[in-house]
Amino acid sequence: MVSLMHFQLLSAALFAIGLYGVLARRSAVLIVMSIELMLNAVNINLIATASHLGYRDAGEVFANFDGQIIAIFVITVAAAEVGLALAIILRIYRNRSTVNVDEIDLMKW
Amino acid sequence: MAMEWAWLIPVFSFAAAPLIVIFGRFLPGKGSILAILAIAAGFIFFWLVLGSFLGADPATAADAGTKGCLISEDTGALTCSYERSWFHAGDLELTWGILVDPLTLAMLGLVTFVALMVQIYSLGYMKGDPKFGWYYAVHALFAASMLTLVLVDNFLLLYVAWELVGVCSYLLIGFWHERPSAREAAKKAFIVTRIGDVGLLIGILLLWREVDSFSMSAAFDAARTGAMSTGIATTAALLIFLGAMGKSAQVPFHVWLPDAMEGPTPVSALIHAATMVVAGVFLVARAFPIFVASGDALLVVAIVGLVTALMAATIALVATDLKRILAYSTISHLGLMMLSLGAFGYTAAIFHLLAHGFAKSLLFLGAGSVLHSTEKQDIREMGGLRRVMPLTAIVFSLGALSLGGIPILAGFWSKDEILIAVNDHRTPVFIVLALVTALLSALYMARAMMVPFFGVLRREHEGVHDAPWAMAWPMVLLGILAAGFGLLSFNWPGSYAGVGSFLFFGEKEGFHFVWWLGILSAILAMGAFWFAYLVYMKRSINLDGARNRFQVVLKVVENKYYFDEAYQWVVDRVVLVFSGFIALFDRVVINDVLVMVPSNAVRRLGIILRLHVTGKVYNYALAMVIGTVGLAIFWWLRSV
Repeated sequence: MVSLMHFQLLSAALFAIGLYGVLARRSAVLIVMSIELMLNAVNINLIATASHLGYRDAGEVFANFDGQIIAIFVITVAAAEVGLALAIILRIYRNRSTVNVDEIDLMKW
Repeated sequence: MAMEWAWLIPVFSFAAAPLIVIFGRFLPGKGSILAILAIAAGFIFFWLVLGSFLGADPATAADAGTKGCLISEDTGALTCSYERSWFHAGDLELTWGILVDPLTLAMLGLVTFVALMVQIYSLGYMKGDPKFGWYYAVHALFAASMLTLVLVDNFLLLYVAWELVGVCSYLLIGFWHERPSAREAAKKAFIVTRIGDVGLLIGILLLWREVDSFSMSAAFDAARTGAMSTGIATTAALLIFLGAMGKSAQVPFHVWLPDAMEGPTPVSALIHAATMVVAGVFLVARAFPIFVASGDALLVVAIVGLVTALMAATIALVATDLKRILAYSTISHLGLMMLSLGAFGYTAAIFHLLAHGFAKSLLFLGAGSVLHSTEKQDIREMGGLRRVMPLTAIVFSLGALSLGGIPILAGFWSKDEILIAVNDHRTPVFIVLALVTALLSALYMARAMMVPFFGVLRREHEGVHDAPWAMAWPMVLLGILAAGFGLLSFNWPGSYAGVGSFLFFGEKEGFHFVWWLGILSAILAMGAFWFAYLVYMKRSINLDGARNRFQVVLKVVENKYYFDEAYQWVVDRVVLVFSGFIALFDRVVINDVLVMVPSNAVRRLGIILRLHVTGKVYNYALAMVIGTVGLAIFWWLRSV
């Protein structure tokens, strides 16, 4: 039996891996991928939790789609974000011939 | 009604000044024609205004109310005033306003006429000067400022015009600013008169605080009715007098005027006769109701005037520079005018102002003519010039005789009126010293006239020419006035009852003549001229013995009573030392401590703080993670 806890552990593991990627990677592309991973971890958590809790009305339990609805929003936003981020990364690469975030430090003092 | 449009008189010249600067080079005479036309228009307009003023019937005018004319209760004279609102600031309303009364008219006539004469004269005198156009532009501005000064009806505009007069005199005295001495003289004139101007400004603000208005009539009403306490009136009057002392070169502010000769000579004629220095006398006359309400202030005016008159007359007696003699003579006569005002001799003071104005501008134009031809200023290097410059000699002598107080010439009558006023209202000490001044004034005038123009002609001056046409006829016109202006003081058949029936304070005065005083002053004047004749022309009296005996006195007088040295000492030892201290305070306390310490602290803090901005993305991401985790822990702890 796969319980809610399993889903949450999976979600937490994916989120931690994504967080590690964001903090440890130097390549902008990998950082964007890691962010995607974190977003999907959140999606798993949302859907699992919503389906587990259900929707209660007058003592009866119905199916709950709140998690799916938010997950679809997250996927939409993530798609837009990837589009934007990749465009920016492309521009940076054209200008500076690198996507290493350590070397993109014009705003630094 | 030409009177409502009297403000056009200065506006003509105000408009001319910028036009000359901008378009002057395209116009005939480098734009000088504009200045002359403007002032000539002002002069013609003055006659229209005078005509309509004389035709104004106070009874109907007061009934009608709209014409703005009424018999002023402050001065007793018919006064017409017109004003427009300028702007409101809170409760304060400022107005553009003009005031036409006999005093204004007298000054308008003097200023427009003398300025016109001087400008025409300058066509000859300044010919070929590289800054010819600029000269006329400033000249027009100068005349316009002075005309504004005499026309305005509130103290604030008066102060504006007052300062404009000061600025223009600065520009003209320093006209040849390539010469260091001209620069110094211009600065000196400006700074010395500024000291008085501060007093005037405080006085004006004091009056404003008292009556809540800059209007002159409001202040005069308050002074007359006693709404303003005598103490305030005295303070205000003395502060205003401080301004007048600066402009009118009264002791101890007289030092700037003799140095003002550094400007072109026609400028001196204008400054000494019509514009700059008479502004002070005019101001005291204008604010006379306040001085009368105070009483004590008038005594101060009289004393300052007397001291100035006497001191300047003695210096004029030993000065050797022709223009300097005339300058000290001006100071002395301004002192006499102040003395006259201080002795309630309002009519006498203004009448003397006019008579002196014509004579002194004539003398300066004459001196300019001599200077123009011989390029000498020291009278010891001149002599017998009447042979080569007959016209200049004649008109100069007319001016000198008039100012020296020879009977039937204008200066005699005006000086006589002053002596009568002093005799009537002040103690015998004043009249005795005033007579001494009159004697000295005749002596130095005789000297200034006889040494350069009579006696033996010097060989190097044999070829010099008399004044050219443009310079000659202004002098002739002024000469006629300097000689004949005194006729205005008599009772003539008809309604004219002497100058006192037109120009008066309080009540109309008929012509009066005190026989013993008139004869005494005539004898003194003629005696002085006879004595000068014996000394300088017949040379039957030799002054060397007297010179040797009074060497010490002579030295003091020749050094102008060491006023300049005293000022220099004060500047060096007090002002500069004090400013040095202030500068040190500024450098050490203000700059090094109050400015540099906080700015250094901020800079150092910035150097430390900027270390956290690494520019590395994962540092920021880690900070976000730590922050989020921290917040989560915080909420969790709170909820438990």
